[in-house]
Amino acid sequence: MAKIFHFQALVVLFYLFTFGYGQRTKDKMYEKIHGANGCYRRLNATHQIGGGSTGVVHYCETQGDLNYILKNGTAPPYIPVISTKLFTAETVEQIKGNGKVSGLIVYLEDKEKLDSFTHENQCPNPLTSVKDTCAKSSVWNPHGTGLLYADIPFPIFYVENQVEIVKIKDCFTKFNNFSYDSQDDRSLCSLELKSFMYATTNTPTCRRRSDLVTNLNPVKFCDPLGDSNVWATLFPLVRGKGNETVPIRDFKYIVIAARLDTTSMFEKTEGANNPITGLVTLLMTAKLLKDMTRQDESGEKNVLFMLFNGETYDYIGSQRMLYDMQQGDFPVKGLKNDNNILPVIRPDDISLFVELSQLGNSQGGNLYVHYYKNSAEITRFYEKLVQNQGAATLRNISQSLPPASVHSFLRNNSDFPGLIIADHEKSYTNPFYNSIYDNASNIAFIYYNATENNVSIPIGSIQQFVVNVSEMVAKSVYQELRNVTYTGTLDLQESASLADELLHCYLEDLNCKVHMATQKSRFPKAPDNFYVGVEHVSKFVTTLTALTLGWFTGDIEGKGDIDCTNVPKNYAFHYYNMSKSITDMNVTLCYKITMNTTEAVSPAFVIPGYDWSSGQYSTWTESTWAELGIRIFLKPSAAHEKMTIAIGSMTMIFFFRFRVLCKIEVSYTVYAAVTHRSTHRLLT
Amino acid sequence: MDLSKVPNEKKLYLCRWYFRVGFALLPFVWTVNAIWFFNEAFRKPEYEEQKNIKKYVIMSAIGSSIWFVLLATWITTFQLNRASWGEFADHISFIIPVGTP
Repeated sequence: MAKIFHFQALVVLFYLFTFGYGQRTKDKMYEKIHGANGCYRRLNATHQIGGGSTGVVHYCETQGDLNYILKNGTAPPYIPVISTKLFTAETVEQIKGNGKVSGLIVYLEDKEKLDSFTHENQCPNPLTSVKDTCAKSSVWNPHGTGLLYADIPFPIFYVENQVEIVKIKDCFTKFNNFSYDSQDDRSLCSLELKSFMYATTNTPTCRRRSDLVTNLNPVKFCDPLGDSNVWATLFPLVRGKGNETVPIRDFKYIVIAARLDTTSMFEKTEGANNPITGLVTLLMTAKLLKDMTRQDESGEKNVLFMLFNGETYDYIGSQRMLYDMQQGDFPVKGLKNDNNILPVIRPDDISLFVELSQLGNSQGGNLYVHYYKNSAEITRFYEKLVQNQGAATLRNISQSLPPASVHSFLRNNSDFPGLIIADHEKSYTNPFYNSIYDNASNIAFIYYNATENNVSIPIGSIQQFVVNVSEMVAKSVYQELRNVTYTGTLDLQESASLADELLHCYLEDLNCKVHMATQKSRFPKAPDNFYVGVEHVSKFVTTLTALTLGWFTGDIEGKGDIDCTNVPKNYAFHYYNMSKSITDMNVTLCYKITMNTTEAVSPAFVIPGYDWSSGQYSTWTESTWAELGIRIFLKPSAAHEKMTIAIGSMTMIFFFRFRVLCKIEVSYTVYAAVTHRSTHRLLT
Repeated sequence: MDLSKVPNEKKLYLCRWYFRVGFALLPFVWTVNAIWFFNEAFRKPEYEEQKNIKKYVIMSAIGSSIWFVLLATWITTFQLNRASWGEFADHISFIIPVGTP
């Protein structure tokens, strides 16, 4: 009987413990804010930029709200929650000087209410551009605040999730938004911003500290920015059949280049006009050129498609590409000049360099061809472009050089034959350059899903414009290659559908048809990020773009099967199983591709003993950090806090005294026992 | 060890050895010596070895204070100048704090 009772009691106890509502005190106190994008601290050879802390929430709808708290706040530090419209250089400057603010939360305002939003410099990449290419009187990025490169002493977070912003606002209304004079006397809704950055000062300091041998607690303070460059050629670099090929060493190369990265004030990037329009135009050009030359043998010239990474941060990718070419490490590192696998390509082998810059904000179909110095090659190519301009209107702007990868090559050789095709003349037509507003609507992109819906894409859309530009470039390059005009016909409606798909891929959905055709796996539905990131983390976008470029420039080897990739093949090619086209997704073919990626890490981190102060190469690094995030909690009033600490201290002191007393008592007892025993022993 | 149970010559022996060991760049041994034997040297009724013990206690106290002043000066100087000394400061550091210049 008693046993059964015990058993029942045990069961009851068990249920009590397991069904109890257990929650940690910390989880009761704090609530996480999701969808928060912090900003990192980045450093170069001389400076640090960007910047945890806690503060009282102050939700601002107008500049007046912000000014009010800066002037009258009685319970600092505050964390103002402001819209992107209020987030200007002046506001940040005002907050910096005020001292009552310990952080900043930014939420998204409708794009229509903003005239501009760009935190790039007015002259992007001032240190590594060709000298005197950005005049004070007409800068490239006139709306640029330069905040990206400002050293801000407090953390800034961008909260994308509107639900979370409403949560913060409700908490603010309930606890903070009344009787401001007595804020000090009551509990207040507060935020904790965690974005503690390890590195400080500048790149040489943090690199040196990361490599110290004497350091007992080795910490990596910062990582170089970097990723991969992508390149592909129109014709194979080797001649011959099967595995018995010899490299073609006397090619001259026409380079068609674009960039592969952007940045923004926060972790999240968009990059519609820069770099996606240039990137998609390059991919379309590659596709059209391949379609035009699929049956042809290669001549004296070849086309080299190049996508540079990290260009936003002092042209990391193009500097490294040039450095590799100069060292004889392109296309593959460590091949001798007379190897029998691939030719070694050097800067002198480039006969023309055509760069596709921002192309999405053209006004009235105007396009501008910029170049530094006039030369026979450039004039000749410009004339060809004009012949093929179609619906666009071309204008040449000599002695003008907007920020572009060609700066790296021109700094090395001022006669380098490079030209830039862009949608802007004297300054950017894109007021949202390198910001979260450079999105699909900035380039008026609407996805038609033309292959499925069987609709034709209207004239005047961005898709048609991209096709127009790529057709112009492709036909002009064809003339350069063959010295005759292209007489075949191109299916421009099909091209427009493909451009539609490509823009959709980069702007809206990574799991689009093109990416499904080139690599047969799905991604979690995450937005693609075009921030170059640190060298040891590779971006999805780079890999996917490399595959797409390969797909467009590849030769078909036959039916797609397991032999395509598994049977030993020629080292001069990559072999992939890919779909035939976006309309024939289920037909798999074997593609033989001359495409690869090369490291896009600044030569400054490669050259042993590089002189950081020389300013020759990009020196950008990103600080390491432990945690990025926001928590919301209710901060007790100052009086309450003091009370808590007083009670705590008193309790502690009391128990110390208590312990000391006990100890003395115990030691007396033990001593007595010991002496008693020893006397006892003496007696016996 | 309870000094009250130790014979006087043993006290002197201990005090002398603590003083000698302190020369091996161990200022805390001097500090311990000075505190430990303070009562023996100054507050106990006179006995034969006390004079020597007093001598060692005073010298240990002086030695440890010099060390204290030197260390405090160096630590203050170093902490104030670590950032501006740059490379040199990093090379003589065993631990580099994160997030500070």
